Amino acid sequence: MHRPNAHEFLQALLDTLEDLPPDFARRFEEILRKNEPDRSQAIRLLFEDVAGD
Amino acid sequence: MRAFRGIPAEMTVDFGKGDSMVIYGDNGTGKSTIADALEWYFTGGIELLSHEGRQHAVAYVGGESDDVTSVEVFTNGTLGGKVAIPDERNAETFHVIRRETFLLRGRTLADFINKTKTEKWKALVEILGLDAIEGLREDLQRARNELRKLSKAAEDELRTYRRAVASGAEDVGEDTVLGNLQQICTMLRVNPPQTLDQVVDPSWLTAAVGASTMASEGSDRESLLAEIKTLTPPAFDKDAVDAWNDLVSSDRARLLPRASLVREAKRLFEAGSVDKGRCPLCGQKVDAKSLAQRIESALVDVMEASRDLEDVRDPVAQLADDLEAAHQQRLSLHNRARTAELGLPPVPDFPHVDLRQSLETLAPAKMAAIAGAISDVRKWDRSAAAVAAKASPAKASTRDTQLVMLATLCQQVNAWRLAERKAARARRALELAERVFDAYQNKQKEDLTALLTQISRRVAEIYATLHPGEGLDAVSVEPWTAKGIELAIEFHGSRQRPPHGVLSESHLNSLAIALFLAMAASFNEQFGFLVLDDVINSFDVEHRGRLAELLADSFSDWQLIVLTHDQPFFEHLRRRAPSWRRLEFTSWSHASGPRTTQYETTDILRDARERLDRGDTHDAAARARRALEELLQEVCEALWAPLPFRRGQANDKREIGELLKGLRRTLKERSKLQLESLEPLLKNLEADVGAALNVAVHASRNRPGGNEVRAALERIAVLDDTWSCSECRTRVWHRGNPDAGRCKCGQSSFPPFRLQTGS
Repeated sequence: MHRPNAHEFLQALLDTLEDLPPDFARRFEEILRKNEPDRSQAIRLLFEDVAGD
Repeated sequence: MRAFRGIPAEMTVDFGKGDSMVIYGDNGTGKSTIADALEWYFTGGIELLSHEGRQHAVAYVGGESDDVTSVEVFTNGTLGGKVAIPDERNAETFHVIRRETFLLRGRTLADFINKTKTEKWKALVEILGLDAIEGLREDLQRARNELRKLSKAAEDELRTYRRAVASGAEDVGEDTVLGNLQQICTMLRVNPPQTLDQVVDPSWLTAAVGASTMASEGSDRESLLAEIKTLTPPAFDKDAVDAWNDLVSSDRARLLPRASLVREAKRLFEAGSVDKGRCPLCGQKVDAKSLAQRIESALVDVMEASRDLEDVRDPVAQLADDLEAAHQQRLSLHNRARTAELGLPPVPDFPHVDLRQSLETLAPAKMAAIAGAISDVRKWDRSAAAVAAKASPAKASTRDTQLVMLATLCQQVNAWRLAERKAARARRALELAERVFDAYQNKQKEDLTALLTQISRRVAEIYATLHPGEGLDAVSVEPWTAKGIELAIEFHGSRQRPPHGVLSESHLNSLAIALFLAMAASFNEQFGFLVLDDVINSFDVEHRGRLAELLADSFSDWQLIVLTHDQPFFEHLRRRAPSWRRLEFTSWSHASGPRTTQYETTDILRDARERLDRGDTHDAAARARRALEELLQEVCEALWAPLPFRRGQANDKREIGELLKGLRRTLKERSKLQLESLEPLLKNLEADVGAALNVAVHASRNRPGGNEVRAALERIAVLDDTWSCSECRTRVWHRGNPDAGRCKCGQSSFPPFRLQTGS
């Protein structure tokens, strides 16, 4: 059985979610790839950023 | 394996091209050394030696050995290599390998299923690589919690501005505000705005009424009075403070101050930057495995307590922020009032500093002090509002007053609209975070359920094969609380979780074997081999047979290395899996280490020559003697030479003279001509055993030189060649029986063709 890693798990999840902001999935996966030291902060900023004005 | 465990020099085990192998040997013959070597190579340690004071036994401890302890593994992939003492690999080396299941031992069989449900969960998380997925969930949760706080703050801010615009009312619509503005503009005889967007633009006000009419002094005073009238005390959630006080007063709170300490211990331990035989915090000697377990266990408790703490901390921290903001606002109003010659009462003390200290030190918050402060704030707000109401209006013209009102209202509208946008954005960010987080958690739960269902199915299949028709069905691995899993079984109609109360020791061991095989079969990605070391000790004959059949039939695609001291199980596997390799450990001696049916005369001779070339005559002689013993043992065994019976391992510890006697008797009976042709060589070898190959003589003054040892080595090689075909290099008894054998290609035989015919 294949063990999914966090990237694959997230990708599969985002594929099932509808009406996500444009580019949200790509930017989220980029945060995972970059291995940010404070990942939760980067994720929060992404949510705020895509929420727009 | 070289100078490893019970092997003084070197031992090689040939697994062919990934063939399965059953290895048989009595207790103490050294067969588990193979499992030890694989465990050390692939995990960096040997579980049995992980306790304090045992680690040195990875190296050969039977006596002096100049060899460096090492294990070399050859594979058809990338996992092969060589590791030697000192082993400089760190935890990172084994990060991926830790997820592979490959070794099950009889002595740790019970441990496998006796782990707590949390330990089982942790093992599963590691094997399945779920730790990274769980880590991302935690980060998502933190981001979501932060957005909740920000959204709440934005809503509070919006409420404040909305009240200001609505002159203290709770709610107000854009139409109402626009209507008020239009009314003031009409009074001032300026063009009223058509939308609030117009008002938000500062140039509108200037254009509408002209800069000259703006009266800053009056504006400030009016603004001050308006702010005082719309003051509201901070919200006070008593339940949130109660929840905080309950948690920090509980036993779990005592764990929290250790969080950073435990995390640092784990980091140091995993980074391998500490001596694993000592505690990284206090430096005391401690067994590495139990230390790792204690750190893990402490970390789980601390993390769970931290999570709960995080949940109850946020509202209290928010209350401290609100109290501080309210305090600052009132101090600012008080100062501005002094400038405007308004006598406001002194601002009361606020408990936000104490509250923050409670958060910092994990101490209960003083509920009475907070409630009292909120009450004082309300009183102060009422007094200030009364002062503001009584304050005489600014000495300005009616038009100036109206202009000030218009300017103030415009500022408030602007602030309100900005707060509206900020709160809406925070709401959208939070909604998205909640949606992604909820979906993430649900998918995680669904995936885990699917995984457990799959493992359960496989465990149940294997278990049913071992115990058919015993009324023990529906074995499964089930979730138990948020962070635990447990084994369960249907026992004659009742569900038993865990199953320890109703299963015998051998049934529990079967369950452990089933779980081990199911985990490996389901999740191994790199390892296609499994090692089972004496796992059937508690099985009766029938269940040993069933396990042999299961391994031979259902795991034929795997390379299995099965070690056992059980003769019937060994025979069962021999019959059931004829293609498997077989290796028998016959004895172990202090000087030579394990002796097996895999004879190594050629390798030992090569080793002896190398030592001789290095000038180590003494060791070369000892190795040469060992090679001769090995060769004679092999020949006597192959030709069924009549040797006196001895019990157990003693059968394997014969003197060279005894073996030569047996060989001569056999040749005399079956190949007299060959005996005659070999006799000079055998006599010379007998002389070598007494002199050149006599280790005791090497200690005397008249010790033999290197040339004598080299000559003896050549004679042993000649005798070795006697029994091998010069064409195919296989032994002359490769096929046939001890009375009449042939090599693989058929060119050589026993008895030899030429000697037989006398030609």
